Amino acid sequence: MAVRTAGYEQPGATAEAALDARLVAVGTWLFLAAQIFFFAAWWFAFFYLRALNNNQAWRANDAAPPSKGYGAVVLVLALLTAATYFVGSRQSTRSLLFRLLTPVALVFGIATCLFQGYEMWHLGFGLTDGGYPSVFTGMTAAWLLQFVFTTAWLGSIVLQTGPAGDTILRRRPAASFAWVLLFLAAIGVVNYILLYLVA
Amino acid sequence: MVSPARVSERRLSIPNNPITGILLAIPGYFVGVWLGTLFGLADDQNTGVILGYVFATVLFLAGVGFLNYPLERLFGWRVTPISDPDENRGIGRFFRLSLDHKVIGIQYLVTILVMLLFGGIGAMLIRTSLLVPDASITPAGNYLPLIGLHSVMMIFITSAVIVGPFGNYLVPLMIGARRMAFPRLEALSFWVVPPAAVILAASILWGGFQTGWTGYPPLSEQAGQGMDSYIVGFGLIAVALVTSGVNMLATIIGLRAPGMTWTRLPMFVWGIFTTSILGLLAAPVLAAALMMLALDRTVNTSFFLASNGGSNYLWENLFWFFGHPEVYIFILPAFGIIMEIVPHFARKPLWGYRTGVVGLFGVALLSWFVWQHHLFVSGIAPVLRPFYMLSTELISIPTGIIFLVTLGTLWRARVWFTVPMLFCLGFLFNFLIGGISGVYLSDVPTDVTLHGSYFSMAHFHYTIMGGEIFALMAAAYYWLPKMTGKMLSPTIGRIHFWAMFIAFNSTFFPLFLAGLLNMPRRVATYDPALVGLNRWVTISAYFLFASMVLFAGNLIYSWFFVSKPALANPWHARSLEWQVPTPVPARNFDRVPVIVAGPYDYGIPNARPVADLGGMVGATGGG
Repeated sequence: MAVRTAGYEQPGATAEAALDARLVAVGTWLFLAAQIFFFAAWWFAFFYLRALNNNQAWRANDAAPPSKGYGAVVLVLALLTAATYFVGSRQSTRSLLFRLLTPVALVFGIATCLFQGYEMWHLGFGLTDGGYPSVFTGMTAAWLLQFVFTTAWLGSIVLQTGPAGDTILRRRPAASFAWVLLFLAAIGVVNYILLYLVA
Repeated sequence: MVSPARVSERRLSIPNNPITGILLAIPGYFVGVWLGTLFGLADDQNTGVILGYVFATVLFLAGVGFLNYPLERLFGWRVTPISDPDENRGIGRFFRLSLDHKVIGIQYLVTILVMLLFGGIGAMLIRTSLLVPDASITPAGNYLPLIGLHSVMMIFITSAVIVGPFGNYLVPLMIGARRMAFPRLEALSFWVVPPAAVILAASILWGGFQTGWTGYPPLSEQAGQGMDSYIVGFGLIAVALVTSGVNMLATIIGLRAPGMTWTRLPMFVWGIFTTSILGLLAAPVLAAALMMLALDRTVNTSFFLASNGGSNYLWENLFWFFGHPEVYIFILPAFGIIMEIVPHFARKPLWGYRTGVVGLFGVALLSWFVWQHHLFVSGIAPVLRPFYMLSTELISIPTGIIFLVTLGTLWRARVWFTVPMLFCLGFLFNFLIGGISGVYLSDVPTDVTLHGSYFSMAHFHYTIMGGEIFALMAAAYYWLPKMTGKMLSPTIGRIHFWAMFIAFNSTFFPLFLAGLLNMPRRVATYDPALVGLNRWVTISAYFLFASMVLFAGNLIYSWFFVSKPALANPWHARSLEWQVPTPVPARNFDRVPVIVAGPYDYGIPNARPVADLGGMVGATGGG
């Protein structure tokens, strides 16, 4: 129970929880700001090496982008992961919709990782075939690595939906997590445009 | 409907401590090497070494206890809540994972001092080898790895030397918070530093790396496995900068006590705030660049190989886009310290508080627009040079504002010449020389002449050692009584200051002259005509090292032999951290304090105490 001193409410349990939620929200946005700079470095590498085309080796040995259709499938899966979880996370964590949508988002997330991983092993060009293959490999690997960890976290959210689970006890951090997924999906869109369409 | 998973009460049963961490890290390294050998696409050794370091680090962190939380979540077990800060005041809490910001601050302090010792020994070896002009003491092949080890170790240290110990310990106290926003992230930002230092030191086993701290390709692509230590070690420091940045910023934004408005925030907290923004945004760029370098060295991509579609300028741009804000990551907290301490000992309000804050933000903002001045001699497009020359010169304006605020505070003050104040004044003297020499170097024609010389080396040592390390010493003498509960000997402190101040200037000022006489840096040999100058510098450097030993001696003497308990507020300061008892209680404040006045209202008649603390140690008035 709050104790009133010096004209200010001392925080009780509810206020502490609200404070915690606010901190997680602020922390999430700060983390995403850092992420923008991380991916901007890769985008800079893309444009820089493409513009320089040193030794005419941006795409040596006629290295062509992998299948646009396959890349689009991966992207759609990532977008579905983010969108499904986002819709679910706007509901109460105790609601039926949340309990339905989060496992679906998890399945989409796992599929995204598997499809992207498969593509990484079947690129159709060698890693030594110039600047584009380097950027494609690095940028996609960086994105995939983060998507794998994010999907693992999504899995932990699903597994913590029991009565005393963390997802139920701390609802709002689970909602903030939706922005991380949306952010990664948006990065996926930019990467797709650059690596499959602009390249 | 999906049936909800049941939450188990099970727990991981591994004892979590650094010993477990080390015991897991050693086999982890060999597993990583084995996997690298198994899957390595190009150079098995590089892949193996990098994977080995990564596995060792992850398993070390697991042993310390960092994976408990994510694994509990993933297994669907009940998540261990963040407990209250450890009430156990025993020494054991410093040797395990603690989520108490005060313990983490002390852990940082000790770790950084140990690393500083190794970095300092590296400097002494460099100066010893320069006693003779012909590389007969240290062969040229060993000289560059020595430079590399010293420089990167010092960069690791200076990235964290103020934010780590003092930021973590003091920020919650100064803003009236009872904890940090993200204690696990805070602890992680510390626990990745020891592995980073060990991995960097392990580069010796591979013959070191020849690139210095800048890691320029193609040399870094061709270097041996010592370079892998650079990549992983620096990568861990990037992780520390990001996690620390998120935690500090969220704490300052979200956990300020009622009444702690932005215009009452202590200047030290502003310094931490601005430096955290830079660390948060700059370190990810370094992480991406290091990842590219690792890919080039392991799977033969060609980010930085011009012959195959890459470009070494890509590295130079990415590295310095991180690297130049990085030098302000060093110095912004130092500015904060100076503007924090000076009013307390001038016994005057800080002159131009808001102007000082604008100065900090001005430096932070401009630091993003200057990185290409490091490329003046690397073939930068001539059309870009004037812009970067101007933007670099512009930084002297907010820096000058910060000086003006400090000098305005000192103007007509009855200065209390304590040891922290002496170090503040030393900072002003040294940083002025470092800053003015920086203006010369920002000028393209001068830079083209002096960039590769000792002039440049003297400049950055004046700013980093003469600036940041002097500020560190001011902070140590000022705040260690609060952090450790023991006063440091002021007599030894004064001797330490004068010894360090004289030896520092005697060491580095002649190096401006050496630079003007075209003595190149990073070269083991030099013109025999400069041998007298170099011997003077080397002997001065020994005295400088001895002055640091004197500081260590003061710590040991004051803590273990005299052991004089510190008063709660030995400086009669107004700011909030001095209003709590010493030692600081586990939860900092009995209740969340209510801030009613600014921290620098000295000499103001009937000034209100800084906070309503609800019966804790009495708050200081106008004084």
